[in-house]
Amino acid sequence: MDMTAFKEGLKSALPIMAGYVVLGLPCGLLCQQAGMDWVMVLIMSAIFYSGAGQYMIPNMWLAGGPIISIIASVTLVNTRQMLYGASLSRFCEQSSKAATFLFGATVTDESFGVNLARFENGNWDVKRATVVNLCSQTSWALSCVAGTLIGGLVSVPTAIASFAMTSIFICLLCMQKVNATNVITVLCAVMGVCICKVTGLSGPAILLGALIGMAAGYVYSSVIKRKEHA
Amino acid sequence: MSWSDFAIIVLACSATMLICRVVPVFALKGRKLPDGAVRLLNLIPPATFAALITNDLFKPDALSAGIWPSAIPFIAAALVFVVGYKTKSLVWCIVVGVASYALLMFVS
Repeated sequence: MDMTAFKEGLKSALPIMAGYVVLGLPCGLLCQQAGMDWVMVLIMSAIFYSGAGQYMIPNMWLAGGPIISIIASVTLVNTRQMLYGASLSRFCEQSSKAATFLFGATVTDESFGVNLARFENGNWDVKRATVVNLCSQTSWALSCVAGTLIGGLVSVPTAIASFAMTSIFICLLCMQKVNATNVITVLCAVMGVCICKVTGLSGPAILLGALIGMAAGYVYSSVIKRKEHA
Repeated sequence: MSWSDFAIIVLACSATMLICRVVPVFALKGRKLPDGAVRLLNLIPPATFAALITNDLFKPDALSAGIWPSAIPFIAAALVFVVGYKTKSLVWCIVVGVASYALLMFVS
């Protein structure tokens, strides 16, 4: 292993690693409350590795959601990663298949932001970017496991641990662009979820609400586009 | 959660996650996605995050517990929105969200 590449990657990863400690501890607590042990949490952090997803699974499980609806909702949230992959693919042309795979498989919201900025500045490669990803993942996995072990010792009300997840989603929503299409998408998704829950469809509420919002936003952006071309 | 339930959920979620993460990196290699696909993909984050937040906050039968307890998540969420909009920092949002939620629960 090339030591300078490792050092440069680690240096760039440090802010993410610190953030993942704060992010991972409540996630581990929530997983413990959903009945997972630390081995499960470690496996999940190794093969799934998703902040939003690893909060959603225990939270929806505690709410009694059916397995199929948990998988469908988490998958819908996973799809945002396609944007990251699409955007990073142009930097992977000189890398081997195995190196590209390892890099692509370990991208997160935060490491994407850090690596994209480095790639665009130049003097950055897939090797260094992968070091950023793996250091971040190590911090995430250890923090989640620590949270799980702490959860076995002290009792934190579930409502508080799960509000950490709500806070993450609010922050991620605040990071989106403010434009007419997004505002319409958000409002329709909010209405969709409320209607689903009032009518007793609380199981698929997240999925249906998000799809209603996307449909409304897509129709609106198509109309705008057609007007611009006319 | 039993090991079999855990295995089904985590393997399924990991499989779709791996596909979403890796396929575009290999499939595109510099080429661009069609415009319609990009527009649709761009709508996923605002739609899903709005749906997830609403699902956490909106509980049709919460008012039966009283006005104050049911207002706590909304007050804490409003504070996190302000912090999120100003800082865009996940860490600050969690700290402010969890601390204000715990404080509001404690004083009520």
